[in-house]
Formats: sequence, C-alpha cells, structure tokens
Amino acid sequence: MADSKDAGEEALRRLIATFQPSFLAPNPALSETSRAASRHLFSALRPFCPKSPLDQLLIDGFDAEQIWQQIDLQSQPLLSSLRRQVKHFAKNPEEISKLKVVPLGKKVEKEQREDWVEESDGFDEELEDDEEGEGKGGEEGMDIEDEDEEQGRESDNEEESEGEDEEEKGEDGEAGDGGIEDKFLKIDELAKYLEKEEENFEKAEEDTRGKKGADDEENTEDDDDDDEEEEEEEEESDEDAEFGFGGEDAAGDMENARYEDFFGDKGKYSKKMKAQLHQESEGSDEEDDDMKFKKQNKGTASTHQKQLEKIHSKIEEMEKANLEPKTWTMQGEVTAAKRPKNSALEVDLDFEHNVRPAPVITEEVTASIEDMIKKRITEGNFNDVQKAPKLPSKVPREVKELDDNKSKKGLAEIYEQEYVEKEDPTSAPLSFRDEQKQQASVLFKKLGLKLDALAHFSFAPKPVIEDMSVQINVPALAMEEIAPVAVSDAAMLAPEEVFEGKGDIKEETELTKEERKRRRANKKRRFKAAAVKRMGKKVQEGALPNQMNG
Amino acid sequence: MVLSSMEVEAAPSKAKPLPPKPMFEPLKPYEMSDGQFRKVSVPQHRYNPLKKALLDIYTPIYEQMKIDIRMNLKARKVELKMRPDTPDISNLQKCADFVHAFMIGFDVLDAIALLHLDELYVESFEIKDVKTLRGDHLSRAIGRLSGKGGKTKFAIENATKTRIVIADTKIHILESFANIKIVRDSLCRLIMGSPVGKVYSKLRAVTARLA
Repeated sequence: MADSKDAGEEALRRLIATFQPSFLAPNPALSETSRAASRHLFSALRPFCPKSPLDQLLIDGFDAEQIWQQIDLQSQPLLSSLRRQVKHFAKNPEEISKLKVVPLGKKVEKEQREDWVEESDGFDEELEDDEEGEGKGGEEGMDIEDEDEEQGRESDNEEESEGEDEEEKGEDGEAGDGGIEDKFLKIDELAKYLEKEEENFEKAEEDTRGKKGADDEENTEDDDDDDEEEEEEEEESDEDAEFGFGGEDAAGDMENARYEDFFGDKGKYSKKMKAQLHQESEGSDEEDDDMKFKKQNKGTASTHQKQLEKIHSKIEEMEKANLEPKTWTMQGEVTAAKRPKNSALEVDLDFEHNVRPAPVITEEVTASIEDMIKKRITEGNFNDVQKAPKLPSKVPREVKELDDNKSKKGLAEIYEQEYVEKEDPTSAPLSFRDEQKQQASVLFKKLGLKLDALAHFSFAPKPVIEDMSVQINVPALAMEEIAPVAVSDAAMLAPEEVFEGKGDIKEETELTKEERKRRRANKKRRFKAAAVKRMGKKVQEGALPNQMNG
Repeated sequence: MVLSSMEVEAAPSKAKPLPPKPMFEPLKPYEMSDGQFRKVSVPQHRYNPLKKALLDIYTPIYEQMKIDIRMNLKARKVELKMRPDTPDISNLQKCADFVHAFMIGFDVLDAIALLHLDELYVESFEIKDVKTLRGDHLSRAIGRLSGKGGKTKFAIENATKTRIVIADTKIHILESFANIKIVRDSLCRLIMGSPVGKVYSKLRAVTARLA
C-alpha cells in the first residue's frame, strides 16, 4: 500500500511537473502517469464517501470515458456532502474549532449531536430522500473516516424525520428512544422549537380561527406534545370564540395535572389574562405590544391565550380602520381628484352603459349583411330618399323657351304680326302656350265635375250652358247620369215632354158612349181620307206610264 | 361857274316792274335725284339665287316702291333708278339697301322687311374685329357661332327677331335698333369662346324681359 501510495504521489508530482502543452498531443507515457495519479487520488478520497460502489479506480483496460465515469460516481455525492458541511460551518462558525479529526470515538458524539439537534430545516431536499430511505437501517454500511459526519447524519435522520414530516411522527420512536430517555433537557428544547413552529403557523392562518391550526397541531406528534395538543383542542372547542375563562376552567378541570404542570396556578393565570385584557381594551397599541411581549417572554401562552391575542389584535385593527377615513371605493361619489392616480383601473367598476355596445363583426354578421344587400339589389328596393315636393308659393313665371329651329316666317312677316298685334290686341293669334292652356282648362273642368259628383252631399251641378241638344227618352241608369242617389230620374224626359197629344186624355174604359162613337167616327174619317189619297196617287202613277207610252 | 341847278335826272321811271316772285313747287324726287342711280354689284355666289328670286325682288321694288330696276349683265350689277312717280326720295335708298341685303345673303322674305320698316338696318363685322383667331381656332369659332345644324344661330334669331348671315369670317346682322346690343353681345361672346349654354341663358333672360 505504501508503495502504491508513493507511486501514486510520484505520478502526481510528475504530472504537475510536465510541460503544459505536451498534454495536447496524445502521449502513452503521460496517460499512464495520469491514470496512476488519478487512482491514487481516488483511493485517497475513498474513505470519505461511504456510498461509493468502487473501492478502487479501475484503470486497466478501461477507456478514458469509463475512468471519468468512475471518478464522477465517487465525486458527486462527495461534493454535495462537502457543500452541506461548508454551509453548516458558515452558519455556526464556532463549531469549526470544535471540529476534531478523531478516529471512531464516542467522546465527540454528544457535542455533535447537540449541534445537529438545533439545526433548522435548511438541508438539501435531495439528501433527505436518500437519508430517510437509508437512515434507520443504513448505518451499518458506513465506512467513515470522519466520525462527525456519521453521527451528524444519524442525528440528521432523527431530526428530519421528527421535525419535518409531521405525518410520520407517530411511528418514529426508534431512533430517538435512547436520546429521549437520557436527555430530558433536549426534549424541552424540542418542545420549545415545536411551539415556535406552531406559533408561526397559527399567525399565518389567523383568519381560519385556529381550526386548521388544531388540525396541524393534531398532526404534530410527539408523545409529550400530544398531551398538550389535546388539551388545547379541548379548550378551543369549549370556548367557541369567546374569552371564556369558565371554559378554560372546565378544560383545566378535565386534565388538571397537566395544566398546572405547564402553566402553574390557574388563579394567577386568569388574573394575568384579565389584566392583559383590560389593557387591551384601553386600546393602546404599545401596551398591548408590551403585554404580548411579556406573555411571550413568560413563555407560557395557552392556545386560548393566543386566540384571545388574535382576537384582540383584530379588534384593534378594526377600530383603527373605523377611525381612519374610508378607502375611496367606500366613499360614495368620488371625483378623480379625491382618489389616487390610476386607482379606478384596478377596481372593477360597474356602471350603466347608455349606448349599445359596438357589434362584434364576425363572418356571420358580414354574411348576413351581404345577403341583405344582394336581396335588396335584386328587388330594387333601395330606400332612396325622395325629395318632398315643395308647394309652389307663387305662380311660376312663364319661361319662354328658345326655339332652335329656323323660323318659318320671314322677318317681314314677324314685324307685320307685331304691328298688327299692336294695333288690334284681340286679333293676336293664340300662342302655343295659350292653346295648351285652353286644353288644360277644359280637361280640368271635366275632372272637377267628376270629383264634385263623387262627394255627394256637396254636389254642385253642372253649370248650365244653354245649348240645344236632343234629349232621348231613355231611363236614367242607362245614361249613367251621375246624379245624387236621393234624386232619381226614372226617365230623362218629363211626362209632359213625353206626352204627345193635346187636352185631356181618357182611357177607353173611361169614355162615355158618345165619346166612343165620336172617336170611331173620327178614325173612320181619317182612314177614308187616307184611302182617297192613296187612290189619287195610284191614278197619277197610272197616268204617267200612259203618257209615256203615248 | 355857276351851279347849275341840280337837275336830278329822274331815273327813267319807265323801268319795268319786277316780275312776281316765282313760286316754285317743291322738287319731285325724281328731279331732285337728277338722274341718280344706285348700282349694286352682284357677287358670283348670289347670281343664281338672284335669277331665281328676281321676280320676288322686282315686284315689290317696281310696284310698291316705284323704283326702276334693271340688271346690267355685262357689268354684273343691279341698277336702280328713280321714276317720275316715285313718292319718296328715300325709296331709292331703301331699295338699294334691300338689294344689297339680298346680295349679302339674306333671304328675300327677310330683306323685304327693310322695305317695310325704317328702323331695320344691316350691320356687318368680321370675326377678326372681335378676336384674332387663326386656323383651327377660327374654324371652331365659326362652328360655335352657327351651332349644330345652325341651331345656335336660329336660337338667337328667334329670340331677338333678327336675321344673321355668317359668311366665312364675315358676319352680317339684319336687326332693329332695340336688339343691337343683345345680338352683338351674344355673337361676340360666342366668338370669344363662351359656352353655348351661357349664351342661351342670357338670351332667355333678355327675351323674357323684352316680351
């Protein structure tokens, strides 16, 4: 061993001595030396890493990569443990002096233990898993040169399993059994530490009125602590958010011994509490703080106490808030000047929108609009604005149109006409416009008449233009004479107009005998006269042809 | 020396009495004119129309105006002479104007108005008097004046009771006193380039006023 050691050191020295750039070129001799050196180093470090699977660096027939991996295998855990230790020493510099490199001796155990016990939770998470897995059973396989580490790690295991995993607490009695029995003092410190933790936890969860805290407290188990916690739970359940000293008392009665053990005389306690409350109610923060500080200093604050403290502090806060002016959101009408800058941006404001929100333009919306447009175009329904017809306020002036065509009359004739018009105004021939006017007036008269007739009761009869026209005796309906319904002209002609004849007419049945006879006689006479006439005609006609012949 | 008695020799009292003051009758036009002629030359392009319209010209002159008229073929002139029974001395001038108007290019029917009315006269001017135009511009101006199918010219004629003759670059207007300004104004505007619509609107306004 010594030889190999020496050889290794020799190799190291040689390596250091070599010319640096020679490393750049592959050199078998140099590689041999470096391998030997690395083996030496590996062996030197081997005692410090108990977990390493390799006892010796294997270099014969191994690749550079493989050798590197072996070294890595050893160095990783070693580095992390070294780091951890350095951290610890950084926190507790005084321990460096205590550090003694001693082979396996029990003397140092105690001290190390003490140190380790008071550690906080700031270890590597990675390490935890390893250690917890191994921790309880894995002590045998340790081959440590440095006693401290082993002991420290053992206590670490204890510490972490106890302090951190709150769930596992119940089981864990093994590793720490011997310690608890021997060192009562340690338990006390442990208790203190646990309480501190609890307080922190409770303060963090003030709002949830300690129930969760109760749960947590439940979980935090140590045999000694359990009693305390149970007590606290009972107290809480009895109190029910009141400063119920009676409740406290009741709880105290239940487990008198424990309560007295820890907190001493109840009477004193209650007095203390009252005093404290009085001072709190006065509302001086400083006094409260002092009291709190005193309480803490006394170090025996029950859960109830703590709750009361919490409640008191809350009350103070609320009273203080009530005295101060409210936040701007609670102030009713607030202008921009009265609130801090940009504060409205952070608040969810709710206000009425007087305008319809802008429509979100999606494809469907545009498609619907386009469809409507197409439909309108096909229909021709454009909703064009039609100008409202302006009522003519005055008679439109006659606009004389310019005549583009060659005038048919000669100039002489035009002047002639002018002269004639001047002389005799009436002889002026109707101008083009006048003719149109006349036609229009005639048409309008006709139309006017019809419209008047339609409005029956304001019937204005046609103005009588005296002209002779033959009236046919035809019933009114046939003529379509538009006369009011009230007036019915059964026939156009009046009876006397219809009547032809003279005098009084009698019916056949009305006649007397003489009259009848007279009628018959008249008829006969007429008939005879007519017959004579006919005869005369015939004779004449007869005579002519005779003459003709003759 | 003895002064002899002044013996004034009596003027021969046998002087004849002055003849009575002659009473002259006013001179007849014919006499006044004393063989006045009017000679109106006939341009070549009016030769044929003259031949066609000769009777129309001859009749009113000879019958109504009582002026002698003849055509001098060799000299290509129309000659007018007063007759003894010409009623008015101005007839000759009127007839001469009438014939001259015809020669310019006016229609007989239009030119006859000269015979009838005193107040008509013929005015002539050239386009270059208004604005110096050359080449295409000139052609365009002439086109503007007459309009499409002559409608602008007719419009002016009808509106103002005048007659216009546009002969290349010369413009002749047969008009009365009242309408001088309007017609000349419209024509000048057209020559200078105003759009026809504007001229029309002015004409409309004017004629409305006149009518």
